[in-house]
Amino acid sequence: MGTSRYGRATADLDLFTDAYRITGRALVGAGGFQAELESSSSSYLEMEDVYISRINQPGEIVASYPTAVFRKDNINFIMVQEKRSGSGAGGAQFGRPLFTRGRPVAVFLTVPSFEIRGEVQQEGKVVLRELLAKSLGQFQPLQAAQASASLYPDISYSSDLLFVHKERIGIFCLAG
Amino acid sequence: MARIYVIDDDAQLLRMVGMMLQRGGHVTTLINDPTEGLEAMRRERPDLVVLDVMMPYLNGHDLARQIRATKGLEDLPILILTARTQEVDRQTALSSGADDYLSKPVSFQELMDRIDVLLHRQDEDVSAEQNGLVLAFYGLRGGRGQTTLAVNVAASLRRLSQQEICLVDFGPLGSQSLMHFRLPAPSSWVDLAMVGELDWAGLLECTRVHSSGVRLLPVPAPLHAPMLPTAEMVQQVVDVLRKQTAVTVLDLPPVVNPAFRAALSVADMAFQVLTPDLVSVQTAVQLSQVLTQHQIKPRQRLFILNHVAPDAQLPKTAVERGLDARIALEVAYDANQMLALTQGIPLALTKSDSAIPAFAGKLAHALWQHAVANTS
Repeated sequence: MGTSRYGRATADLDLFTDAYRITGRALVGAGGFQAELESSSSSYLEMEDVYISRINQPGEIVASYPTAVFRKDNINFIMVQEKRSGSGAGGAQFGRPLFTRGRPVAVFLTVPSFEIRGEVQQEGKVVLRELLAKSLGQFQPLQAAQASASLYPDISYSSDLLFVHKERIGIFCLAG
Repeated sequence: MARIYVIDDDAQLLRMVGMMLQRGGHVTTLINDPTEGLEAMRRERPDLVVLDVMMPYLNGHDLARQIRATKGLEDLPILILTARTQEVDRQTALSSGADDYLSKPVSFQELMDRIDVLLHRQDEDVSAEQNGLVLAFYGLRGGRGQTTLAVNVAASLRRLSQQEICLVDFGPLGSQSLMHFRLPAPSSWVDLAMVGELDWAGLLECTRVHSSGVRLLPVPAPLHAPMLPTAEMVQQVVDVLRKQTAVTVLDLPPVVNPAFRAALSVADMAFQVLTPDLVSVQTAVQLSQVLTQHQIKPRQRLFILNHVAPDAQLPKTAVERGLDARIALEVAYDANQMLALTQGIPLALTKSDSAIPAFAGKLAHALWQHAVANTS
């Protein structure tokens, strides 16, 4: 976790909408990034130093701004850059956040424009419906995640920790 | 000591990178405005420039393109240092004209290694570049699939280029590569020691040629172990091979002996092979420390993560964190390899499109392009 120009804590991340990749720093409260994401008091995610790329050329920066807000409903998924954020996003060590328990279960899912592979940490029997229940949060964390652009399968991204918007999920498959 | 410009809009990171470079003995100029940085380079050309990517008004990729388009700066070594850490970011950095890419945060050693490589590349004698390429595959722990990768890359290079490709085996317990090619070994490094003049004709007598065309210099059987190659022999053999072959592939021993040190020091590219498990990562870290202690600096060092089992103990990101370095190449588990070893035919010479031949083919293609570019 870093600090914003106004002294607030920040988390470095890559955020993906249907057509854009946005790299920047999200402003987070005392509860950390996941709490900010799940906060019902704001429909927006505030960010600083954002760099915007199109998903067909995700390395090229088409615009950059010092501040921005993003509608949470419009976010497909977010990759937290653990290497830069340190333990701020959940105390991750060797790719597994310490707060999670249970066993890793491999999943494959789709959101608009992307396919995502990763692992969910699950205790006991895995029930897909329960995983997607909105009452348990709007975003589902995945560990050891890899996302590929559906129309540009050569372009892929990997991250220790990814948060996928449950309402944007089209297909959700479970291994085993 | 080199004059290095660092261009980054983040004042804190700018200072940190500046301090690292100064600690490494370089003279730095720290600039937080990319447009100003370009002007400064036009006024006085540095020896190397380190660029951030995410900068307002003029991002690092566009700045790299402008540097390449500026008369007098076309060949200025550019190292991109960015917080954008995905593979696509590396590709974009290199396609924009950068010579190398590093993701933040960067360690002192990693930064110094990359800077040394870029500065060294700049200093290299042009005539040396017109010689054949020398690759080394190495690591300290057995069972990493190192010889498998060396053999398959050599076979793929031969298949692709139809040029002279020589695989040099350093295994301490007899020649593993002979098994991969199912070749008898009437000759080895031992015979080479008996040759008076170490020239191409002498080397030809001691090598074996597989039906694929790959030339092989094996190590002696264990009974001849005391006759393992010396540092001087390695130096001489590589000198000869560099002049006579398109690519020489050195499959180094899992021990830091004089031959290992000599071979690694003369290689153009060194591939450290490790597997995704804790012991392998620890061993790789220790080996890096040993190389630093012995001041062995391969011109270019890349890590290969080889999955020799279907299930990985550690994810790639964890391995990278353990190494404090980026994994450049990854090889998926290939269930066909055991059969290939039994049959004595490297997978790269079969019609298989499984993980190992696919990897070897891609790497050979990239290496061959590099070799051709250096000789043209």
